[in-house]
Amino acid sequence: MFQKNMRVLIVDDTSTSRMLIRDALEQLGMTQIASANDGEEALKAMVASPSHLVISDLNMPKLDGLGLLKAIRAHPPTKKTPFIILTGKSDRAVIEQAAKLGVNNYITKPFTLASLKTGIEAVVGKLQ
Amino acid sequence: MTLTVAAPATRRITIIQGEYRVTDDPNVCFTTILGSCAAACIRDPEAKVGGLNHFLLPGDPQRAAGKDAERYGVYLMELLINGLMQKGAKRSRLEAKLFGGARTMMGLSDIGAMNRAFAEEFLQNEGIALMGGHLGGDRGRRIEYWPVSGRARQVLFSSHAKVETMPPPPPAASTQLGDVDLF
Repeated sequence: MFQKNMRVLIVDDTSTSRMLIRDALEQLGMTQIASANDGEEALKAMVASPSHLVISDLNMPKLDGLGLLKAIRAHPPTKKTPFIILTGKSDRAVIEQAAKLGVNNYITKPFTLASLKTGIEAVVGKLQ
Repeated sequence: MTLTVAAPATRRITIIQGEYRVTDDPNVCFTTILGSCAAACIRDPEAKVGGLNHFLLPGDPQRAAGKDAERYGVYLMELLINGLMQKGAKRSRLEAKLFGGARTMMGLSDIGAMNRAFAEEFLQNEGIALMGGHLGGDRGRRIEYWPVSGRARQVLFSSHAKVETMPPPPPAASTQLGDVDLF
């Protein structure tokens, strides 16, 4: 069961997208939301203070979504952290690569509040 | 004997609603027709790559009043920027021109104003320099954009005159020729 006050980390290099995702998560009742501009920043944040759920874009400078996923899975304290990719890219090869790296779900943009909620609940259970 | 070398022909690619395209080919010209929709022309002058997107006109005013119109814009902006970066562009060097967002139908909600506000706010949020363009008004327009050079041309539609295809103008600074504007 996923509690709405658990920490969620949004990773996206587009600040407008980060704001929209944050807005949607807040509408879903979540209160502990952090964000990072790219994979590198997200990884530092996860090592310093792990979040309970990561929602990440794919295409980002420095460290992309797949690189972040790989690094998080390789870091023992975060290796089981639910990781959702939220991206405009729906390339089958990339989805398969993400699956091999241990992604928990893959949501494509443009998302709706309902698709985001469904995508999150499929990974962490019904939001309480 | 005089040798003449023909300049490469311009290849025109039409971008329709909901689409985006990126190129590093200097002979490509993207063209699109806008009413209340908006288009962002974004390029990296150093990497010599550029592109254009065309935000969809939201169909349902109830939904458009919420976040959907903005999402569509964000989605297409993100795809465009990602496409540019995959061709070697850097975010810090991006520059943009914005077009469209007209109020073409009175009495309905002003979707054009929403598109305009979104496009300008997006560039501001992302730190992308706005170099020019033309937003608003009450007439549709055809945009032609040469992504590598950054040259843009706008032909405003009128209810009386049919817009004819014209040859590309020579490179020039912003010049106004009646209803044809160069940016």
